[in-house]
Amino acid sequence: MISFKNVSKFYDHNTVLKNVSFNIAKGEMAFITGPSGAGKSTLLKLMYMAELPDEGDITIESVHLSSLKMSEIPMLRRKIGVVFQDFKLINNLTVFDNVALALHIRGISEREIRAMASESLKRVNLRHLAESFPKSLSGGEQQRVAIARAIVGGPVVLLADEPTGNLDPGTALDIIMLFRELNDQGTTILIATHNRELLRNTDKKTLKLEGGTFVQEEIV
Amino acid sequence: MTASSYSFKSAFKSLAKEKWINILSTLTVGSSLLIITLAVFFLYNIEFIANHLPERFSMMAYLQDPISQEDTQKIIDTLRTRPEVLKVRYISKEEALLELKQTLKDSTHILEGLDENPLTSSIEIKLRKEFVTPATTSRMATEIKKMPGIDTIYYGERIAEAIHMLKRSVQNISIIIFLTISLGVVFVTYSTVKILFYRKKEEIEILKLLGATGSFIRAPFLIEGGVIGLFGGILGVAGAFVFYFAVTYRLSMVIPMLKTLIFPIGVLIALPFVGIILGVIGSAIAIGRIRLW
Ligand SMILES: Nc1ncnc2c1ncn2[C@@H]1O[C@H](COP(=O)(O)OP(=O)(O)O)[C@@H](O)[C@H]1O
Ligand SMILES: [Mg+2]
Repeated sequence: MISFKNVSKFYDHNTVLKNVSFNIAKGEMAFITGPSGAGKSTLLKLMYMAELPDEGDITIESVHLSSLKMSEIPMLRRKIGVVFQDFKLINNLTVFDNVALALHIRGISEREIRAMASESLKRVNLRHLAESFPKSLSGGEQQRVAIARAIVGGPVVLLADEPTGNLDPGTALDIIMLFRELNDQGTTILIATHNRELLRNTDKKTLKLEGGTFVQEEIV
Repeated sequence: MTASSYSFKSAFKSLAKEKWINILSTLTVGSSLLIITLAVFFLYNIEFIANHLPERFSMMAYLQDPISQEDTQKIIDTLRTRPEVLKVRYISKEEALLELKQTLKDSTHILEGLDENPLTSSIEIKLRKEFVTPATTSRMATEIKKMPGIDTIYYGERIAEAIHMLKRSVQNISIIIFLTISLGVVFVTYSTVKILFYRKKEEIEILKLLGATGSFIRAPFLIEGGVIGLFGGILGVAGAFVFYFAVTYRLSMVIPMLKTLIFPIGVLIALPFVGIILGVIGSAIAIGRIRLW
């Protein structure tokens, strides 16, 4: 499903990722951990092609990313739902319109969009804030909007970058439960987090990054 | 289909949100297009006049005196076969004298004492209008002068040149005005859309990451540029109407000649479309190629 082979990424003379290789199977849910600055966000960015690798090969659903033409990138990104570390919500659009935007991009009809966006907001318990603007929400609420937008299009792969970073422990657990539910329905999920709490008692694969390489691969 | 209706929606939202910059640029585009219209209006009328001037142009070939009727007829027949010639009129020396007397009217005493007609018979040659050019007229003059029986030939070489110059300059001025103003309109929409584009840079980056295509991102901006051009064009048409009725119509009561001024309706109909095209071109240049990585 997702495969990295000897992937390296440099920023100027700074090595961020060095010879990273791993596989995530279809329907799997896995965590990428590691301290701040370890390269977790960069690893995710390589998957949705916000960054390009300097070395190595990345495959998603049997597609070699290096072989993609620019016109094929939108299709790749629509298959991948991303919860960005900084949310990337559009401040002059309402919560509802932010979520709906991901569907407008796909050319889905207005009627379907209403139903799908409402459903997605319901899943993150934000239906009551649909007409609010992101700036008026708490960090945790904004994060849930970002999650609603990431899942609304029914992605094959869900990438979440510190998705519980701004949530209180209770809400964080709710979100992880939501991810498990989506995973049970077949979505492949990759979560980048430095929050060790989330990993306690997890039965999921955990990849630990440090200084740009995997230091251990724990499968509990 | 829904994607395009969404593009229209977000274009109109942006037009309303950034209304001052959009109104300003619409006004600028409108006045530029009005200038084009007025220029077309004047040049069209000058061209119209210039096109009818050649009808008044003629060459006079004076015949040798005396000349036989046969030789005269031969000259007339030869001239008639030439493709440049529209009309040939023979003026006998008697007719010429009659015309002269009519012209002189009360001053006919000048002619007293002449027992013989001092004038010669002549042939007036009118050319087809496409041949009223300095080159053709001077070539014709030389050739006709060589024909047996022709004494001298007079033609307004200056007039032929003036007509020619007038038409040439009208064409050149039209092209220059149209190109300059069009470039101006393109530049105005270019700058406007560039500003709007920069203001939305962050939003555009987000759209890309969510899987938007280049055309999805581009569409609202092209529509915005087109709408600015469209309203600019409509303003231009409105301005032209105001100009026509307020100025030309009133002036023609004082100066009747202005009544013959022609208003090229085709230009008015075309103006909003010209506006749309120029607006879309301007925004297309402003957006450039959208890179998705
Ligand atoms: N665009 C960039 N230009 C230069 N350096 C960068 C850039 N993005 C990230 N880095 C550097 O790469 C390293 C890894 O960053 P990141 O992937 O964000 O780590 P993490 O998400 O694990 O905290 C950091 O040292 C960061 O400073
Ligand atoms: Mg990070």
